Amino acid sequence: MVELFPVFFIFIPIFTGIIIYLVKNKHVTSIVFLSQLILAVLYGFYVYHYIQNPNVAYIVLGGWDDKFAITLKNDTLSLTFIGLSIFMWTSVLFYTYKTNRIYHKYLFFLMFLEGIFLAFLQTNDLFNLFIFLELITVLITILISYKKNGPSLKAAIYYLLLNTLGAMFFLIGIIILYYTYGSINISYLQENIGLHQNHQMVKLAYILMISGISVKSALFPLFTWLPKAHGVAYTSLSALLSGLLVKGGLYLFIRVHVYMFGYATYNMTEVFFYIGALTALVGVVLALVQKDLKQILAHHTISQIGLMMMGLSYGYGLSFTGGLMHIINHALFKSLLFLCAGLIIYEYKTKKIYAIRGVFRSMPITSIFLIIGMLSISGAPFFNGYVSKTLIKYSFKAEPFKMFLYTLVNVGTVTSFIKFSQILFGKKVDLEKRKDAKQFVSIFAIGLLCIGIGIFYKPIGSFIYGLDLSYVKLFDLKAWLDYIIYIGIGYILFKYYIDKDYKPVQVIRSFQMTFETANYLFIFYISSLSFILFYLL
Amino acid sequence: MNPILSFIVILVGIYGLSVSKNIIKSVFCITIVEAGTILLFLNLGAYEGGVIPILSSLGIEIVDPIPQALMITTIVIGSTITSLALMLCIKIFHHYGSIEWKVILKGDK
Repeated sequence: MVELFPVFFIFIPIFTGIIIYLVKNKHVTSIVFLSQLILAVLYGFYVYHYIQNPNVAYIVLGGWDDKFAITLKNDTLSLTFIGLSIFMWTSVLFYTYKTNRIYHKYLFFLMFLEGIFLAFLQTNDLFNLFIFLELITVLITILISYKKNGPSLKAAIYYLLLNTLGAMFFLIGIIILYYTYGSINISYLQENIGLHQNHQMVKLAYILMISGISVKSALFPLFTWLPKAHGVAYTSLSALLSGLLVKGGLYLFIRVHVYMFGYATYNMTEVFFYIGALTALVGVVLALVQKDLKQILAHHTISQIGLMMMGLSYGYGLSFTGGLMHIINHALFKSLLFLCAGLIIYEYKTKKIYAIRGVFRSMPITSIFLIIGMLSISGAPFFNGYVSKTLIKYSFKAEPFKMFLYTLVNVGTVTSFIKFSQILFGKKVDLEKRKDAKQFVSIFAIGLLCIGIGIFYKPIGSFIYGLDLSYVKLFDLKAWLDYIIYIGIGYILFKYYIDKDYKPVQVIRSFQMTFETANYLFIFYISSLSFILFYLL
Repeated sequence: MNPILSFIVILVGIYGLSVSKNIIKSVFCITIVEAGTILLFLNLGAYEGGVIPILSSLGIEIVDPIPQALMITTIVIGSTITSLALMLCIKIFHHYGSIEWKVILKGDK
């Protein structure tokens, strides 16, 4: 029975969505919480059995030979992601329930997306991975364009076309792998990838798959869809997209680059490190100049993805674990920031950062959690961002240039959150309060987890990754000093440059990338990766 | 048929994507890329003299059935994407009165 739980993870949310859509009753919509509860209980049982016997996590559907059949497989990586997804969906449903309980279609797509995302995490079959990738793209497009206003429609079509192109290249890569190895089963390929690793076709397949994944995970030249899509959606959806669904790309990166091609000795660590560093820097520069609350947060997602990439590019060791932890931590604090920003935008009825003042006096509870989120994302000790950021720099702490890039990203993050925090100051504004305790429940849960992981990271690290994280010290004088210096530099930078809104700041802000340019950049990305892999390595 | 030909179809699609100024044309170019991909896979699975892989042809040399099973799914997904994109095009035309990328990306400030 336990081995069938992965199938339940996929179908419980989908059936819930279908029931909501068919019955169309506003009391029936509360079964979303029942389904989340069942999912959480099943997940608990499943993890319990997995720890005792890891073999339980591999099932073959339909009784075919497992080289061709549809198989589902779970490991530590996918189980952490599943736990995170169930938690995130529950908090977003809590947050959005009062306003969205009458929109049955919206809830249907949201629950369907959960089922598909859980399927995407568990599948052990490259072609199913592609199908779920495309389904996620379609469902997110529908959810983004759900507002049916101009910006959301254009963000949706930009997102759909660019991501479909990426997924098509992923598919071509899969085809070439099937042609060479005769199987699309991930575990089988993982064991046998060394057989043909120097074959030109396999290298080509690797390049095409990685390019597709880079579009999906918004790496350096291909991130242009992200701020458009994440900035215009409903705030609760933005929290989900920025916090969790964009990590689907990074999950694929870990599956394909780190695990599947792990035995193929393509030495791409440096390449992905610098791609990650560029992503982080460009994201932070674009975030610094924005004037819109949600745009700032959406651009920060890009820079944090760059940071994760810097850690993940090492493929093993504490830096890699730091990248994995930063995925979880970023999901928590970014959704916290988005949800708090959603409350503020609702009360002030504007997204402009210079029009919002006096949040701390008018909305004290929200602003406390906003501060928790800001401290986490900027890496203050005692918050979860600090743990993962310290782990990420473990492997390159002796290399000055890499540390320089890393420090620049941190200073940029601190500066732009000093800009963000300007909304807290000022006189009290009279607002009509929306009484909705459920929203605070989800914000409270996420905020508590942010601090919890920041303090009890040692037991968590040894439980999930089996690693001793005592490298991170909470009372490290140097870390505290660094953070204070960052705040000092950030404050000066903000006060004397960003706040004055000089010409370069305006130029960067008005920068728009057309769809044609994005495609040129995609071709450029593929060609440069091929050049590196075929000629330089 | 040579697999290079399907790569040429894919490249035509990508060329179209990077020069077309119109959303409908971009959607068509995506469809062309997808058609090239499907052709490529069917090509790699087939060989001369093979027959269709159904039960009555047991004992005769058949072509590889997996590409055909997978590609029919890809066709379904492709038609979903195309119809969704065209629906968005209609909505965009109602909002902006145009389906040029240039106009809609500069649309509302």
